[in-house]
Amino acid sequence: MTLESMQPMLSELSVLLVPATAHGGGAASHGAAAVSEAIAAGPWFAMFIPLFPLLAAVVCGLFAFTRRYDPKRSKIPGWCCVLGLLLSFVTSVAVISRIGHDTLQVTIFEWIASGSLQADFAFYLDPLTSIMLLVVTGISTLVALYASEYMSGDRGYARFFAFIGMFVFAMTCLILADNLVLLYLGWEGVGLCSYLLIGFYYEKPSAVAAAKKAFIVNRIGDLGFALGIMLTYMEFGTVEFAPLFQALSGHSPESVSGSVQIIPFLLMLGAFGKSAQLPLYVWLPDAMEGPTPVSALIHAATMVTAGVYMIARLAPLFVLSPYALPTVAWIGGLTALFAATIGMAQYDMKRIFAYSTVSQLGYMFMGIGVLSATGAVFHLFTHAFFKALLFLGSGAVMHGFAGQLDIRRISGLRKVKGWGVVTWTMLVGCLALAGFPFLSGFFSKDTILAQAFVTPGYGFTILGFMGLFTALLTAYYTFRLFFRVFLGPQRYEPGDEHHADDDGGHGHEAEHFHPHAPGWAINLVLTILALGAAFSGYVGVFGGEEHGWFGGMMHASTGNAVTESLAASHGADGHAAGEAAGFWADPHKWMMAVSAVIGLVGILIAWYFHLLNRQAADRLKERVRPIAVLLENKWYVDEGYDILIRKPLRMAGYVFYLIGDTIIINGLVALGGAIPRLIGSTIKPMQRGILHGYGLGMAAGLCAVLAIMWWLIQVGVT
Amino acid sequence: MLLALLLIPLVTAIAVAAAPEKQARALALCGTLVGLLLSIVIAVQFNYQDAGLMQMPMSIAWYDTFGLNLSLGIDSISLVLILLTTFLLPLTILGSFTAVTQRAKEFFAWLCILEAAMLGVFAARDLIVFYVCFEFTLIPMYFLIAVYGSANRAKASIWFFLYTFTGSIITLAGLVYVAWAYQMSPEGTGNWTFDIATLTAFCSEHMTAAQQGWVLLALCCGFAVKVPLFPVHTWLPLAHTEAPTAGSVVLAAVLLKLGTYGLFRFAVPMCPLAITTYAPLLAVLCIIGILYGALICWVQTDVKKLIAYSSVSHLGFCVLGLIALTSIGISGSVAYMINHGLSTGALFLCIGMIYERYHTRAMDDYSGLAKVMPVWATFTVFFILSSVGLPGLNGFIGEFLCLVGTFISGDGANPGTLGPMYAAIAGFGMILAAIYLLYLAGRVLFGPLKLPDTHHHGHDDKGDDHAAPTLPQDLTGREVLVLVPIAVACIVLGVKPGVLLAPIAAPIEQMVSAVSEAHTRHAALLIDGAPPGLPPAEDDEAALASAEPMSRDIDTTDNRPSELGRKEGLGQ
Repeated sequence: MTLESMQPMLSELSVLLVPATAHGGGAASHGAAAVSEAIAAGPWFAMFIPLFPLLAAVVCGLFAFTRRYDPKRSKIPGWCCVLGLLLSFVTSVAVISRIGHDTLQVTIFEWIASGSLQADFAFYLDPLTSIMLLVVTGISTLVALYASEYMSGDRGYARFFAFIGMFVFAMTCLILADNLVLLYLGWEGVGLCSYLLIGFYYEKPSAVAAAKKAFIVNRIGDLGFALGIMLTYMEFGTVEFAPLFQALSGHSPESVSGSVQIIPFLLMLGAFGKSAQLPLYVWLPDAMEGPTPVSALIHAATMVTAGVYMIARLAPLFVLSPYALPTVAWIGGLTALFAATIGMAQYDMKRIFAYSTVSQLGYMFMGIGVLSATGAVFHLFTHAFFKALLFLGSGAVMHGFAGQLDIRRISGLRKVKGWGVVTWTMLVGCLALAGFPFLSGFFSKDTILAQAFVTPGYGFTILGFMGLFTALLTAYYTFRLFFRVFLGPQRYEPGDEHHADDDGGHGHEAEHFHPHAPGWAINLVLTILALGAAFSGYVGVFGGEEHGWFGGMMHASTGNAVTESLAASHGADGHAAGEAAGFWADPHKWMMAVSAVIGLVGILIAWYFHLLNRQAADRLKERVRPIAVLLENKWYVDEGYDILIRKPLRMAGYVFYLIGDTIIINGLVALGGAIPRLIGSTIKPMQRGILHGYGLGMAAGLCAVLAIMWWLIQVGVT
Repeated sequence: MLLALLLIPLVTAIAVAAAPEKQARALALCGTLVGLLLSIVIAVQFNYQDAGLMQMPMSIAWYDTFGLNLSLGIDSISLVLILLTTFLLPLTILGSFTAVTQRAKEFFAWLCILEAAMLGVFAARDLIVFYVCFEFTLIPMYFLIAVYGSANRAKASIWFFLYTFTGSIITLAGLVYVAWAYQMSPEGTGNWTFDIATLTAFCSEHMTAAQQGWVLLALCCGFAVKVPLFPVHTWLPLAHTEAPTAGSVVLAAVLLKLGTYGLFRFAVPMCPLAITTYAPLLAVLCIIGILYGALICWVQTDVKKLIAYSSVSHLGFCVLGLIALTSIGISGSVAYMINHGLSTGALFLCIGMIYERYHTRAMDDYSGLAKVMPVWATFTVFFILSSVGLPGLNGFIGEFLCLVGTFISGDGANPGTLGPMYAAIAGFGMILAAIYLLYLAGRVLFGPLKLPDTHHHGHDDKGDDHAAPTLPQDLTGREVLVLVPIAVACIVLGVKPGVLLAPIAAPIEQMVSAVSEAHTRHAALLIDGAPPGLPPAEDDEAALASAEPMSRDIDTTDNRPSELGRKEGLGQ
């Protein structure tokens, strides 16, 4: 990690918006590169990246409606889906090799064209897209493989894979989109698949409620996003990235109007909804009602990172407001801390990891906010591996122990036969999440935290300390879970879920219960992900000047060119200073040591309370009972939202319906109807059922209306 | 050709009425299918290069003294609405095959007559033809509700009739006033005419802003009831709930569009000055309707009533886009008409299918239907999502364009007087739509399985000589056949909205530029006769600039047109 590549940028923001086409030598060649007018055409076969998953979804969907298909016997839909996703992954790799450090564009077909609004089904390919493609298609292939075993025997086997295929289609549209409207399509599309998959077990009321909540909370954010798109269109006359970035070049916060500065705040709302940040995070923990592969894929590795991706992609818009990115940073930092405190007090494995996901996403937002888009996307990348691993590991436990997820009811899994792979891979995942030295999470989290100490202003230093404290909590709650579930005395109770493939082989009762060890597909996937969790951090260390290969990729993308240069223009170049003044002056160096120590301390605390002396933990809990209750109940945020928002709106609905419509409006109408009837009863003799009489009446009435109108117009004109 | 299009359903209706009971359904289906084919032929022959012109004109003199002509003609807006009508009618008839068991002959005959009337509205080039068809839709609909409706049908049908009739009588007065004013004016030289194009041009060019204001008010009375806009919407839930499935489908899909079409065809082009002045007021009504309707949806316990109120909410977007007076907004509005017709129509069909099985509309009676009716559930979720406005499906296009159009309205480049705040507040309707529709899905489709007590149903069968053939639990092939074309249309319009947006662009551009021109002309007039206090404008451009709201600030856009109106009053 040589550091001189970030020289203080004297050039203005204006020229930095178009990514440098070549990254090399460490000279200040990048950034100042000439504005390229036309973007080169990309490979046409990029269209297969979303197409293969869509085809897989259609095939699986047809299976779901085939009467003769027996989900208990055949795994064909699962294999179709794995194949489709694998092909998509292979295509992605081929496309990525074409992209390199360039920016390419592929138009598939014309989509919306109305007036001057043009939004095509077209792709914008740059290194940021490459990274996201790798994560999305790679992890989804692995998760589909895992799910082909995990979901076997479920009645909705084919339906599940149809939804997964649809999800990958939407997600790849999201990351490939070359305009805001297509991005929005993918954005809502993944939201839909998330809705369908959270509610996959639709007979469970809790799953249905969770699905609905996820969709609606996301919609709140999406409204902001949609308005942001509209405002962008109004201000710049385009929603396509290339012309938009072109139009943005030459602007700085001083040179744009106030309404342009509102755009990032609107877009941010969408990101906070999708990526479960304060105050819109409430849906993600509930989303764990979905099948575990879904939690791993959608609610940990891919979909929830869309917000980070969006901000990285649209960074040129975000830097136009001096307060936008700092707001993102603070929201991220606060969410990270807040979710970690809740995660400490939960007992459900998946919920712990859900809060952990919220917290880690908070880190990513913090990273992008403190102007390290590289750190944010790097953390996104490593997090995808270790969090998918942790969820899939929990899923294996859940699968084997009939839905048991309570860490108080399960212990010492290491010793149970057939659970070795799960135990070891979970250990790797937990270490990576806890920021244990030289595993992936360690490098990426440090990049973010160090940058918080480097970028000046906006209280980022406080944010940095908050981040460090959160890291301590993270290490603690992660290993609280690990020590409880995998180490200690061997003891387990089955959950209450009668898994569909039990076939009476192992029943409910604890005495007859035999855990059901994972098969080859699950073990293989866990192993691959564990390797990723252990080593994926090194792409950010080796293979390039700053932040390794990863830094090189990010540097050539829209996201980072801007934030890097903004950081430089803040004079926030810690590196140069670091070289002069030694170790402690460069946060990027001392952060490694500090965070390693913090991670170890967290693990040690967890070791003491949850392995060595579990009674001590209970005693401590009694001491701080109010705090524990508050945390266990998640700060009562859900209840607060219910009382402050949901109930009043429903009340308004009742008032409008019962009073507004039924009494006031219908009352007035009835009154209006009664007047003619009154008149009618006085002149009843005139109504003898003779047609021309009515016609005459109607004509007279019409004349009267005309006369009134004529009079009104005379009055109005003069 | 257009005359043939109108006559086919009428002939079918007569044939259906004359034919034996057993063949009635098949005949009605064939007749409407022929209508569909003919409308496709028309669509193929339509010259899209001149999509803004009235094409395939025909005119038969009717009563010369008053200039009455039976004249028909279509532009591309009429064309797409005609296609919507002829597309949905056969499906509706097919969907009602088993639902209507008594007096089936009359039922299908009335549906055919209704189709003819609706087509007449869209194809009319003469005010009186338009108005006669517009009003005539009431009669078949009245019988459909009153004879074939459910428990509360008597009240519903009377309310439906009187509510809309009262409104449209005032509309008629407004239209007659325009014709009368034309006849009195130097342009008309004493000749009566009801030709829509002539009267529109006269009204927009020669009437003062104040006169236009009154005309607009009169037009809005009828059309707003039909749309329906808040606060004259209360007939709709009642009529929808009580109407038979086919009635609800036609009501939601096409009849409501008569209101928006009327606003599009008359209110905006006739009163370009007034509409800019009163657009904020109308927009406020639309927005109230959007939010108010949506919140009411959320507390419904009757499935059909929920969908009915969702129309109140949805049509608010449609009118909002229209009165934004930007080409994007109006395109969105027209797209919304089509898309709402497809998705809400389909939702009513879906609801009708479970009603036919279990004879109850109460949400509490159902739960977890997805388990036993997976095919039905898939379709219902699909149409719910289309209605929620999921990108990639049709609903999104209309909603998004309406909101974009509203958002950029009044930014200086457009004659509109709305702005970002209107779009932002209306946007909450998007969230609420998700809330109430997913609430519906969560209650009826998902959750633990609960089916209504079918004892009542069985009892009906016994007491009924034309016992409905018992339907299987999930959808039959016929029912799937009804829903598949609509689903395909939803996907096509969502993925390639160009097939709809491209043809309708030309007339919309024409209309927007006509509105702009009216303002320019008006501003020029104003400058000529400006009182001494006003600074004289230097040239036309400056006049234009002063007449059109330039500011992005909402407050000033609100005030400016009314100031304009006042100045104009002074100028007289």
